[in-house]
Order: sequence, then structure tokens, then C-alpha cells
Amino acid sequence: MDPPDRRGARLYRKYGDRLVEAVLFLSAITSILVMVLIFYFLTYESFLAFKEMGLKAMLLGQKWHPAGDIFGMAPIIWSSILVTFIALFINILVGVPLAIYLSELAGSRSREILKPAIELLAGVPSIVYGFLGVLVLVVYLERSFLMLTGRSILAVSILLGIMFIPALATICEDALRAVPREFKEGSLALGATEWQTVRYVTLPAASSGIIAAVILNVGRIIGETMAALLVVGNVARLPIPLFDAFDRGAIFTSVIAGEMGEVAHGSLHYHSLFAVGFVLLVIVTVLNISADLVRSRIQKKFGEY
Amino acid sequence: MKVRIAPAAAIVISGLMLVSSLFYLFVQPERPLLTSLWAGGLLASIVLISASVMGLYSSDRTIWRFERVIYLIGDQVLTLALVLLITTDTLYPGGDITLLGLSAVFRHELVLSFLVLLASVLLIKDSINLIYRYNQRGREILVFAMIRLSAVFTLLLLGGILFLLLYKGIGAISWEFLTESHIHLGQEGGISTCIEGTFWLVTGAMLISAPLGIGAAIYLTEYSTHTGLKRAVTIAVGGLNGVPSVVYGLFGLAFLVANFGLSLLAGSIILGLMNLPTIILTSQEALKSVPNSLREGSVALGASKWQTVRKVVIPSSLPGVLTGLIIGVARAAGETAPIMWTAVTFSATPVHKIYGVVPDVTQPVNNLCYHLLNLIYFLGAWDVEKNAWGTALVLLMLVLSINIVAIVLRKHYRKKIAW
Repeated sequence: MDPPDRRGARLYRKYGDRLVEAVLFLSAITSILVMVLIFYFLTYESFLAFKEMGLKAMLLGQKWHPAGDIFGMAPIIWSSILVTFIALFINILVGVPLAIYLSELAGSRSREILKPAIELLAGVPSIVYGFLGVLVLVVYLERSFLMLTGRSILAVSILLGIMFIPALATICEDALRAVPREFKEGSLALGATEWQTVRYVTLPAASSGIIAAVILNVGRIIGETMAALLVVGNVARLPIPLFDAFDRGAIFTSVIAGEMGEVAHGSLHYHSLFAVGFVLLVIVTVLNISADLVRSRIQKKFGEY
Repeated sequence: MKVRIAPAAAIVISGLMLVSSLFYLFVQPERPLLTSLWAGGLLASIVLISASVMGLYSSDRTIWRFERVIYLIGDQVLTLALVLLITTDTLYPGGDITLLGLSAVFRHELVLSFLVLLASVLLIKDSINLIYRYNQRGREILVFAMIRLSAVFTLLLLGGILFLLLYKGIGAISWEFLTESHIHLGQEGGISTCIEGTFWLVTGAMLISAPLGIGAAIYLTEYSTHTGLKRAVTIAVGGLNGVPSVVYGLFGLAFLVANFGLSLLAGSIILGLMNLPTIILTSQEALKSVPNSLREGSVALGASKWQTVRKVVIPSSLPGVLTGLIIGVARAAGETAPIMWTAVTFSATPVHKIYGVVPDVTQPVNNLCYHLLNLIYFLGAWDVEKNAWGTALVLLMLVLSINIVAIVLRKHYRKKIAW
């Protein structure tokens, strides 16, 4: 038999540890809980709109007229697709070369400057990007193309494309660095130039990571709110002709952020905005999961190098 | 390798055209284009390149593969066509082009500068290839130059943003600007209420996300043996990480505002939940980097699991965890969308405090980001531009300096700790 105080200590140790573990467990499942709650509330609040409008009319309807209680998302979806493509083009055009530079070419000194610079760029708040977009980019476009207003699909594409260069470059760099040195050295030993090595060995070996990064960035681009809200013009109609990127548009986030401030709580408009949010959430979640799948599938295939 | 004079001269000429056309594209000075100079330069480059092709052709015929010839001829024909466009006045001043019903007018100056830019890039490419006789080295130089340009672009971007905000915003900053609340819809006065509101929102967010995030990370790395649960949490964290900030705002509106109203509390919870994935991921990484031998040593001495975690694992991973927290602070300070409808008003009254210390969490506050958003909305209507630049500068400096602290901390600890 232990003396009483020792027994107390042992009890404390046993149950205290249990208690701590329980608390930690609870905080671990918080993320699951929050994810479920987010899905629940968005489904719940948007259900009414889908019921009232009909799923097809809501998703494919060509008019978004809050005043007339007509809420078709086709213009929003189409603008988002346009924005995503143009922004992604700019994004990849600078982001991937930047990643190649960081992982293959940069000396330690230029890395020392560039890495923090990229991190700082990634930290610039989106509202500041939006502010500069309004006062610099929009003004420039207006002057260059004699547009009625520079706020356009093109403006938001350029802004978002530039905004997410750091994010893309960082993930791509990790993917490129994960390629084992033996691959590159083997190629160089065979007499390939450095560029041939990058082009035919490193890039293909890292392609899965790069593709995953691009998919993740698509999610970021269509999920970005403040910068988009300020420069997109926020007019939800199909551009004529359809590929007219110089026209004003509205993407998922900008519609929600632009209109949610003024709607009456519980109106059809309110629920329709939640429906837009729901569609956005589903798209982004699917993108995230597929990025994860791409990465894990390739990892299975090649092992962790 | 002998440098050939003709292509080198072509590079110099094309380089000058490239710089000048870029200048016209982006700065758009109010002066006539260098049209005749450009036409002359393009023509000269074509002649120089053709001359060097002739020279190479007579000395070394083996390098002429079919596709190289095609590309070379194609480039020259395109450039020649541009010269013809210029000299025949097809692209005349004032002759603006509208295309395919796009709602933009392509002005003569812009189109011409752009075409000259393209042509000069093509000419430079050909000249470099000629200098290196189309071997792999020339190709490498070309591609690596482009890659280096992307790095230069990134640095210019950061420098440009910083310079512009400092240049335009520094004039607005004064002691009064930082310590007074705004009046006349932000046209005058300062941003003290916003700074205060941002401070309390970030504090509240960290009070929620730090314990939850670190706790979750500890459970996942130290306790969890159930792989199914671990996988589920990992998926949820990944999902949360990708959820757009505006969706968090909607969630807060539906879930929290219904219960707490427009309040500091609702905003803090939303920002805290938003930060959760970042903090979990960075903390997990920091905890994983603690070697197992430390844990085993502690357990061998008779310590319980929690004692091991508390006394050994957490202290050794503290710098990493701290870095994650600091990044979380920066993110929370810079977010607008999640709090737009949950926590903020454009108010000029300071945060209401209970006993002058603790803020009343049921009241809304003002916030730097939201203040800036409102000023942007007012831009055309009222004279707020100066204060908007000032607010943007304060916000940027706040967020960037927090980020710099995180970067420095991480660097310091990477240097110091090598397991």
C-alpha cells in the first residue's frame, strides 16, 4: 500500500493525464466540427433559394437581377471561369519560372534576398492589393484601352494572377526541391546542359507537385474576395461577346461581398447569396481534395523519392 | 567562341527598341512615338541578321535544320510585315482599332508599341541563336534569362508596392493621424479607432485559435494512434485551409451573428477559426521536428506522457510554434471579408471598455481593413485619397513587420537548433 499522498499523486497522474488527453482530443476534432458546421449552415441557408428558384434555373439561369428576384448564376460562373483562366496564365507564366530560379539557379545570396521578399509579398493584405488595383491598374487600363471604366474581368484577372505568384512559386519550389539530386547529377553526367536537365528531368519528376500547386491556386484565385470586389466592376451579366474580358463582370466572391451588406435578412436575395457561397465552397473543396489526390497518388507511384 | 559582330549589333538595336517600346507601353508619355526610329531599327536588325545568316551558311552548313530555318524565316517575315505596316501608314496615328466587339479600343500607340516589343524579342532570340550557332548553350542562355526575369519581376513588384505606398502615404502619417479618430467620413482625422479595433480583433482571434490549434497539433503528433481519426482531421484541416474567406464571413453571419449580433466576439471567433488550419499545420511541423530520442529519454526517466509533452516536446518546438502564431496574427490583421458583416462598423467612437480595461465583446468595432474599404468606396465622392493612402500604408507596415518578425525568428532558430 502506498502512503495516501503518493496515492493522490498517482491518481492525479492517471486521471490528470486522461483529462489532458480528452481536452486535446476535443481541440483536435474542432476542425472537423467547424468544417461540418460550415457545410451545414451554407446548405441550410441556401436550401431555400434552391427550392424557390429550382436547381437548374439557379445554376444555369442567365440573368442575375436582385431587383426582380431573378437569380441565375450563369454570368457569375462564366466570369469566374474567364478570370481563372487569364489569372492562371499570368500566375504560371511568372510563378513557375520563379520556382525554377529559386530551386535550380539561385545562389545562396540571391535566395537570401528573394525568399523573404516572396514571403512578404504573400503577406500583403488583399485589401491593399485591391486599393492599388483601383488606383493604379484600373486607371492604367482605362487610359490604355479607352474603356468606360477600367474595372473589368481583365483587371481582376491581372490582379489575382499577380497576387498569387508567391503562393504558386513557394509550393512549386518545394516540389522541385523534392526531386533527388541523383536524377539531376545523372543527367548532367550524361552531358546534358543545365536547362536540358531542368526541362527533361527535374520538371517531369516534379510535375505532380506542380500540378497540385496549380490546382490549389485555382481554388485561391476563385476564392479571393477583397481585391476582386474592388476591381471587377461587379455587374453580373454575361459579357457580349462571351470572351470579352474588357467588360465588367462579377465573380462568386465579389457578388457575395458586394451585395450581402445591403440585403434584408431572410429575403430570397439573402438566401441566393448563400447559394452562391455554397457553390463556391463546393468547387473549392473539390479542387482541394483533387490536389491532395494528385499528390498522394504520385507519391504512391514514385515513393517519397 | 568568336563573337560575331552582326548579330551582336542586332541585339543592341533590338534591346534598345525593346526598352523604348516597354517604356511607351507602361508609362505612356504624352509625346509622339519613335515610329521612324523603330522602323529603321527593325529594318537594320533584319539586314544584320540576314547578313550573319549568309556568313554562317557559307562557313558551316550543318547547323541548318529545317525547323530552324522555318522559324528564322518566319520571324524575319513577321518583322518585315511590321516595318511595312509602319511605312505604308496602315497603323497611322489616330487609327484606333476595335476588335471582335470587345469593349476596348486598341489605340494606335499601344498596338504599335506592343508589336515592336514582340518583334524585338523575336529578333533578340534569333541573334542569340546565331551567335551561339544554334547550340544548346545559346538556348540555355535564352531560357535562363527569362527565368531570371521572373525573379526580377517579383522583386520589382514588392519594391513597387512598398515604394508607392510609402511615397503616397507617408504624407498622411502624423501623430494625430495615429491617435485621433476619423471625422467627416474619414476625410479628416485619423485612424485610432481602427488600430484599436484591429488590435482587439486580433487578440480575440489568437485567444481562440492558439489554444485550439496547438492543442490539436499536440494531439495529432503526440497522442493520436487512431489513423482514421488522424486522416479525418488532416482532411478537415486541409479543407478549412482552402475555404475562401468570404465563405467564413457567410458562416459567421449565419451562425454567430444570429447569436451574438454584430460584435467583437463574433468577429474574433470567425478570425480565430480561420487561423486554425495555419496554426495547426505549422505547429504540427514544429512538433514533428522534435527528435524521438528526446521523448524516449523523458519517458525512460519515468515522466508521464503529458509531462513529456509539457516539459520536453513543447519547449523544444516553441520557436516553430511561435512562428506559426505570429503568421496567424499577421493574417488575422489583414483579413477583411470574414469580418465585414460579423464584427465591424465604420465607427469613430473608441472601443467601449468595461472598467476601462476589457473591451465590451458584444459591441462592434472599427478595423483598419474595413476602414480602408470604406475609404476606397468614398474615393470618387469625397476627398479621402490622402487618408486612404495613409491607412493602407499603416496596414501594410503593420502586417509586413509582423511577418518580418516571423521570418527573423524562424531563421534565427534554424541556425541555432540542429538536432
